[in-house]
Amino acid sequence: MSGPAGTLAAGAAGTGEAGVAGVAGGELGAALGRLRRRQRRRRRTDLALSIATPVALVGLWQLAADQHWVDPRIFTPPSQIAVAAGQLISAGTLPSDLGYTLARLLVGYAIGAAAGVVVGLLLGLVRPLRAALSPLFTALYAVPQIALLPLLLVIFGIGETPKVLTVVAVTFFVLEINALAAVRNFDPRLLEAGRAYGANGRKLFRHVLLPGALPQIFTGLRVSIALGLVVITATEFVASNNGLGFLVWNSWQLFQPDQMYVGLVTIAVVGVLLTAVITLVERLALPWLHHRHR
Amino acid sequence: MELAAAGVSKAFVTKGGGHLVALAGIDLEVRSGTFVSLLGPSGCGKSTLLRILGGLEQASTGTVAGTGATGATGGRRAFVFQDYSLFPWLNVLDNVAFGLRMDGVGRQERTDRARAWLARVGLAGFESAYPEQLSGGMRQRLSLARAFVTEPDVLFMDEPMGAVDPQTRLLLQEDLIRIWEETRKTVLLVTHSIEEAILLGDRVVVMTARPGRVKLDLPVELDRPRTLATSATPAFSELRSLLWDALRDEVERSMDLS
Repeated sequence: MSGPAGTLAAGAAGTGEAGVAGVAGGELGAALGRLRRRQRRRRRTDLALSIATPVALVGLWQLAADQHWVDPRIFTPPSQIAVAAGQLISAGTLPSDLGYTLARLLVGYAIGAAAGVVVGLLLGLVRPLRAALSPLFTALYAVPQIALLPLLLVIFGIGETPKVLTVVAVTFFVLEINALAAVRNFDPRLLEAGRAYGANGRKLFRHVLLPGALPQIFTGLRVSIALGLVVITATEFVASNNGLGFLVWNSWQLFQPDQMYVGLVTIAVVGVLLTAVITLVERLALPWLHHRHR
Repeated sequence: MELAAAGVSKAFVTKGGGHLVALAGIDLEVRSGTFVSLLGPSGCGKSTLLRILGGLEQASTGTVAGTGATGATGGRRAFVFQDYSLFPWLNVLDNVAFGLRMDGVGRQERTDRARAWLARVGLAGFESAYPEQLSGGMRQRLSLARAFVTEPDVLFMDEPMGAVDPQTRLLLQEDLIRIWEETRKTVLLVTHSIEEAILLGDRVVVMTARPGRVKLDLPVELDRPRTLATSATPAFSELRSLLWDALRDEVERSMDLS
């Protein structure tokens, strides 16, 4: 029995396309189906693991605190953190702190990003300007922006301005460096193609340089929102009576770790959500980047 | 006369402080409606010459005149590049319409004209795809459509089929012959394929190894319309061996140079 079956299979394979087409509904179709199912199963497993791991860790934390494997006064169990969060929300302090931090971060981010993109593009395009300012900016970027805070406090007092300016500083440098690099590393062949088809001066900028530089500008936007959150939190630690950074620092000083954890978790959630928003905007603004290799 | 170069030379200053003479005294005239193939060994400056004739680069000495030259009588030029140089952020339709948009052609008209050319190069139905999603052969077809749609007076092609596989190259050559015979534009084609130079050209200009000079200017008097079958005729073989004889020494010299 095995003899004729083997010959038949060899015959089908030998006919090339016709053979494959004939098998596609049967054996080959089944094989493809298995492949697809395996891919789907893997994606589901990845997703399940990415959700289950943090949930399991929180559960473990709860258990460890309940059983006094760790000191519950320092490692407040998640159930108590949730209670504290509920209290802070109903008292209105958490929404208000969140509002202060978001306002400072977003205002500073918008100003810093706009200025950084404009200056970075200008430095990329104007050689004397680049020669004059680029080394200086690179040196300034190397100074941690939070180290500027005392100076800013001396100059501007303890109002909102110095807090927003620390975010402006970090965002500005990240965007300046990314926009400058985007222009400097621009594919010269695309610039030439643009010129060859009549794009000169402002048209070349608007229709070739800017769209081509956007991916790297978005990289800068994504990096700097996270850095901005770090900087505003640190600023609020030392120079503020409100905001999420103040909440964390003040709770620690009053030894209310449950409230401190609420602040930390809120900061983490803000970071994740803002990064997600920027990624979403990037996907909408640059559909061509996400059509690659599909 | 569509395009005329007289005594065109080009020298570069190299990074080490030395210099390199790419072109040394090129005289070349191109009549309207003819297809001229530029053939030469690697590094002989044929691409540089094309770019100077097309106004993308300045000659160090000498003059370029004609409707195809920059600033002259405002003649329209279009380019097809070896690496396609398509704009990755524009979809197929917008890539084709790019030149028209820069010229201020209205949206409706440029969309219609771009669609017509996409159909002509076999890319109908791919309007909203992005270049990265296309194969090499499709990208080069797109690049041809982008050039032809602007209805240029002169078309400059820099090894347009250098980056595709040999089978695709044959298909593209057939497409290009057909399109050219329908449109009869003035074309300058840089290539290092002797067969391609003969098959497409009314004239084949052979350049020497660096510094590039014109070594041979050979008319191709093969009947049109041409097809790939033309390359099997005795007249074609004769031209091919003539050109190879002229090219052989230059290729050897260019290998010594590099």
